[in-house]
Amino acid sequence: MNKAAFYDLDGTLLSCNLVTMHAYYARNDRSLIKSAYQLTKVLLSVPLFFGLDLYSRSLFNIFSFRAYRGMHRDRLIGLADDLFEVTLKPSIFPRAQALINTTSELGYRNILVTGTLDFTIRPIALHFGIEEVICNRLEFNNHIATGRVLPPLLAENEKARSIRVYAAREGIDLAQSCAFSDSSADVPMLSSVGFPVATNPTRRLRRVALQRNWPILELREASSTFPPFLKPAKAS
Amino acid sequence: MKPLTNWRWNSVRGEYETGNPVPIEGTGEISAVDAFANKTMLLLGGTGFVGKVVLAMILDRFPELKCLVVQVRRKKNLTGEERFYMEILHSPPLRTIVERIGGEEVLRKKVQVVEGDFNQPLCGIPPGAIEQLKDKVDVVVNLAGVVDFDPPVNESFDTNIFGTEHLIELAQLLNAKLVHVSTSYVAGKKNGRIPEDVSIGYFPFRDADDGRHFSVAEEIRWYETFVDEMRQNRAGDQRPLRERLREGGMNRAEYWGWTNTYTYTKSMGEQLIARTPGLTYSIVRPAIVESSLHFPFAGWNEGFTTSAPLVLMGGDGVKGWPVRNGPLEIIPVDLVASGILIVTAAVLCGKNKRVYHLASADENPIMLPRLVAFLGMNSRYKHKHKKSGSRLANLWKAYVDTHVITVESLAARRARVHRGLDVIHAALTLGKTILGPEKVGPYLKSLRDTRRQIRQQEVTLDKFLPFMFHNSFIFETRNIREAARMLTNEDLKRVQWDPKIIDWADYWVNIHTKGIEKWIRPVFAGRRG
Repeated sequence: MNKAAFYDLDGTLLSCNLVTMHAYYARNDRSLIKSAYQLTKVLLSVPLFFGLDLYSRSLFNIFSFRAYRGMHRDRLIGLADDLFEVTLKPSIFPRAQALINTTSELGYRNILVTGTLDFTIRPIALHFGIEEVICNRLEFNNHIATGRVLPPLLAENEKARSIRVYAAREGIDLAQSCAFSDSSADVPMLSSVGFPVATNPTRRLRRVALQRNWPILELREASSTFPPFLKPAKAS
Repeated sequence: MKPLTNWRWNSVRGEYETGNPVPIEGTGEISAVDAFANKTMLLLGGTGFVGKVVLAMILDRFPELKCLVVQVRRKKNLTGEERFYMEILHSPPLRTIVERIGGEEVLRKKVQVVEGDFNQPLCGIPPGAIEQLKDKVDVVVNLAGVVDFDPPVNESFDTNIFGTEHLIELAQLLNAKLVHVSTSYVAGKKNGRIPEDVSIGYFPFRDADDGRHFSVAEEIRWYETFVDEMRQNRAGDQRPLRERLREGGMNRAEYWGWTNTYTYTKSMGEQLIARTPGLTYSIVRPAIVESSLHFPFAGWNEGFTTSAPLVLMGGDGVKGWPVRNGPLEIIPVDLVASGILIVTAAVLCGKNKRVYHLASADENPIMLPRLVAFLGMNSRYKHKHKKSGSRLANLWKAYVDTHVITVESLAARRARVHRGLDVIHAALTLGKTILGPEKVGPYLKSLRDTRRQIRQQEVTLDKFLPFMFHNSFIFETRNIREAARMLTNEDLKRVQWDPKIIDWADYWVNIHTKGIEKWIRPVFAGRRG
C-alpha cells in the first residue's frame, strides 16, 4: 500500500505572504507608470487584508484572489520563475528541504496541498522535487483572470476532503500517511492522516497539538529534530 | 532545467496533472503496430534535429519493426557506422532511449547502418548495399535537406533538388514507398488558409495570372546557366563567389514569390516527386519545428533555423518586434516525429493522402503579440539578477517591456540607432587623437562589438520577417487529424497527434525558452567565439 506525506506550503515550508506576492506582480507590470499605479493599489489594500484575515479566513481568500482580476494569464505564468527567485526562495525555512528528502527516502509520496495558485506552485514544487500538487486554480476568460477561483476553493475542510478523494484515486493509505501544517485551519487535514505533525505551529495549533499528543516540529530552526516516526530505524 | 516529464497541462480539466493522458478512441482502420511489424524502413537524414527524434521514437515505440536501415554520411575520419554508434547514439535525445530499449547490443541486431551521400546518385549508397536492400525495404523515409534559409544556391539545389531526384531513383529501384519530409512554407508568400495539396507548376504568385509559367526543368536550366556565369564572373563582380550565389538564389526565389532559397528549392523537390508516375508517396510538411513537448524529454532542441535566434535575441534584450496580429505556425518536434510515423503507417497500409501539414494554428493557434510579451518577460528574468555587464543596460533590459512595432518604424528605429552609433564613434575617434589610443581603445572596441551584434540581429530579424510580418497563414491539418483518428487504440498509446493539448503559455515559458537557453545558447556562443 502507498503512503504519502501531505505538505501545506505557506507557513509550513516557507513564509510567503500574499501581500508581497501581489506587490511583486504590481511592480512588474508592463510599464513603469502602470507598475506605480498597481503598487499604490496594493499598498492601499493592505489594511483591508489585515482586517479580513482577522475576521474570516475564507472571506480573506476570496478577496485575495480578487486582486488577480484583469491580469493576463501569460504574465502570471511568465513571471512565476522570477517571483520565485525574488520573494519565495529567500523565505524557505532552513530545514524544509531536509524534511522533504527524509520523507521521500522513507518511501512517502510527497504531495503539496495548498491554497496557493498553480502557476506560483510550479517553481516551488520543482525546487523541492515534489511532483504531486493539489492546489487552487484561477478562472480565466480568454486568458484574462476573472478574479474568481475555480471551485472547489481549497481551504480548511475542503483540504481534508480533497486529500481523501486523492488518496482513494491513487490508492494511498491515509492511516500510514503523514501531514505537515502550521495553521489551526488545517486541523481537519491533519486529523485525517495517521501521523499528523504540527509544523512551526501557530499558538492555536500548538494548543490542539498538545491536547491530541501530535508531535511538534520547528523547521525555522536549523537544529530541530524530526519526529520519531521519521527515523529510518522505526520506519522500516 | 529539470525534465518535466511528469507535468502535463490538461486543457480539458484546466490543470496540471501528473498521471497518464486521457485515452483517445481510434477507429482502427490503420494499425500502425501491424503496419510496422516485420517491415524494413530506410531512414535518410536521421542525423538532423527532427531525424534523431524520429529515430528515437521508432526505436522506442515500435519494437515490432523488423529492420531499420539508417543512412549516415561519412564525416572526416569517421565512417558512417562509427559515427552512428559513437556520435549519434550518444546524443542527448538518443542516450536515454538506447538505455531504455536494452543498450547497443539490442540495437545492433535491428539497425543496419549504410554509408551514403545525398548528393550522389542513388543517395550514394554503395552498390553492394543496394543489391542487398533490393525488394527488402518497404518504405523510405527521407528527412535529409539543406534547411538554411539562404545558402549559396548550388548547395540548396544539390541537396533539395538533385538529391530528391536521387531519392526517387532509389525508391523506384528498391521498389519501396516514399515518405518525404518537406516544409509547410513551400506555400511561399501567400495569405489565409493553405490547403494540403501539391501541384506541378506551382509558384506562389501563380494566382496573379501574369502570364508566367513555372517548370522545374526550366529552373534547372536557369540554374546551370546562372552558376556557369557566376563561376566565370562575367559581370565582373568583386564579391566572393559564395556571396553572389547566395544572392542569386534569394533573388530567383523572390521572383517567383517564395520567401527564400530553402522554400523555393523544397517546393521543386516536391514537384519532382509528384510528377513521378507509379510512385507511392506522401509528402509531410511540418511548420516551424520547435522544442519537444514530452519526448524524448521536454525542451529538447537543436534546431537553428527555428525561432531559436529570435528567442535568444529577446533574451538579449531586443525590445521592438515587428509582428502582425496573426499566428506563428510552430510545432513541437515530438509531434512532428509522431506525425511522420503516423503518415508512414498510413503509407504502408495504402491509406495515405498525398500531402500532410504538421502545424498547430489550425487547431490551437498561438498569436505573435503574445510571444512578443513572453520575450520581454524572459529578458526581465534574465537581466534582473545579472551581475555582469553595464548596470544601466541591465536595468533597461529588465524593466522596459517588449512591444509590437511596424516595419516602417523598425526602419526609422534602425536609422536612429546607427546615427547614434556614428556620433559616438566620431566622438571616440576625436578622443583618441586627443587622449591617445590607450585610454579610448577599449571603448572603441566595445562600440565595434555592439555594432556587430546589432547588425547580426538585424540580419536575423530580416530573415524571419516573412513569417512574422509580411504574411499570415494557417496551414490546414485535416489530413493528419484524419489519419490519427484512423489508428487503433493501441497505436494511440504510442503515437498521437494532439496539438490541441498544448498550453502555449506553459510551453513557451517553461519548456521552449528554457530548452533554447539550455541547448542552443551555448552552441551559439561557441560559434560566435
